[in-house]
Amino acid sequence: MQALAELDLPYLPVETEEFAADPVRYFNAAKVQHPWIAESDIGFFIHEYTAIRELLLQDDKMRPAYDGIIEQMGARGTPWGRFTEEQLISLPAEKHRFLRDTFAAKFTPRFANQLRPMMRQTISELLDEWTPSGRMDFEEMASYFPISNMFTLVGAPREEIPAIRSSLETLGLAFSMDKNRLPEIHEAYERLEDLVQRLIANRRANPEAGNPDDLLALLINTGDEGNVDPRQLADLIIFFFIAGYDTSKNVLTYAMFKMLDRPDIYERCGADHEYCRKVVEESLRYFNPGSVPRFAAEDIVFRDVLLPKDTMLWFTLNISGHDPGTFEDPERFDPDRPIAPEKRQIAFSLGKHMCLGQYIARAQLQEALHLIPQRIRNPRLAGEYGWRPYPGAWGLKGLPIEFTPA
Amino acid sequence: MAKITYLEANGREHVVDVCAGLTVMEGARNHGVPGILADCGGNCACGTCRVYIDEPWLAKAGEASEVEAATIEAQEDAGPGKRLSCQIKVADELDGLVVRMPETQC
Repeated sequence: MQALAELDLPYLPVETEEFAADPVRYFNAAKVQHPWIAESDIGFFIHEYTAIRELLLQDDKMRPAYDGIIEQMGARGTPWGRFTEEQLISLPAEKHRFLRDTFAAKFTPRFANQLRPMMRQTISELLDEWTPSGRMDFEEMASYFPISNMFTLVGAPREEIPAIRSSLETLGLAFSMDKNRLPEIHEAYERLEDLVQRLIANRRANPEAGNPDDLLALLINTGDEGNVDPRQLADLIIFFFIAGYDTSKNVLTYAMFKMLDRPDIYERCGADHEYCRKVVEESLRYFNPGSVPRFAAEDIVFRDVLLPKDTMLWFTLNISGHDPGTFEDPERFDPDRPIAPEKRQIAFSLGKHMCLGQYIARAQLQEALHLIPQRIRNPRLAGEYGWRPYPGAWGLKGLPIEFTPA
Repeated sequence: MAKITYLEANGREHVVDVCAGLTVMEGARNHGVPGILADCGGNCACGTCRVYIDEPWLAKAGEASEVEAATIEAQEDAGPGKRLSCQIKVADELDGLVVRMPETQC
């Protein structure tokens, strides 16, 4: 058995702009030196698809590392720090299971399918608003799609979308591990917390004013039935906003980016709703914003390497689909690529923390990918684009396009 | 302890002894039976541990919860007796249970 310190591991400069612009190149170079693990200033990165799959499914040997992130960021004792350390994903196993089971009914494929008409209406209204000029920052337009859906789901006042969008933009950069961002992170979190507390208080004071079947009603009612602490109820709704924003927005933006060079796929999306499902899965393989931080909760021996207790491990869901050891010709974007069950994309993670909103995310992406090509014809890149910091929430920063409105 | 037969779509059979209290999914995973992914680790969230159970065993396997039913109905393979194996607790009365796996868990 080898100790981590004895391995000659590749070093990854994950915090740099150069890395964020092309992490796959760095990880592929790292694989030459060691096939599945690399080191960085913020922990070890597990980057081989099969290693990620095998380790992440060993839930009982690891714990979420959000406390480690807060420690590194120097944010312990702040409202954002408290939330991050106590959010759903960070809770002890029993409490996590209870809350997750309590709210699972509103995150099933059936529920996601029921939301499709609302999703179609949202994206249609956004396209009405954004397409007439024939130019747009696609990422900015896309950002209003998941947040508008989430506002509808909890009956939040739509005039507050711009301010909360700004908060979510900032909070999405929180895991870039840049301490300079802390003041704006705290301000963004306070704004979101304020909205969520008002939503809960208003609905409790006047239940008839809201939709009795919406997500907020369910969360409050099932929370009350299960004696869920008011703090945890608010945290769940804050988590819902944070988890649902960058993820869908960044994937939709990247899918558009890829299809700028693949008009054949783009046009077929506009014509074939079912085909969009394949494009969603291939897009999630090719790109997703997620890196999952974990601590080893005990000494873990994996492939004859000892990962000591309390080692910080990052699981790179975001580049896992580019692993040449698992995916044939991984750089080819091919929605018709055959999918072997054991080689499915893992954008939504694995194990007990697998994304609760995965079916809502898939439905949103499918509906958007079907309607956008019907309204944005012949899109072309029309300026510079950038990259959001790695490890996350990683993705394109800005995607200026010009097109023919339809 | 119950003897459970896992039948792959190609007809290959795996007969294993599974302790009471485990789930049918865990029985497969612990014995390396192929064809059951269980990406969510048994939390009724991913739909990748689907099996089919024949009529005589359905009642003994228990009823699917609302969440389970709402999860599996969206999967493309269809037919009676579809369940998530992570939601079936093994008990002595399931001794002899046969579960059939779909062609793919995609």
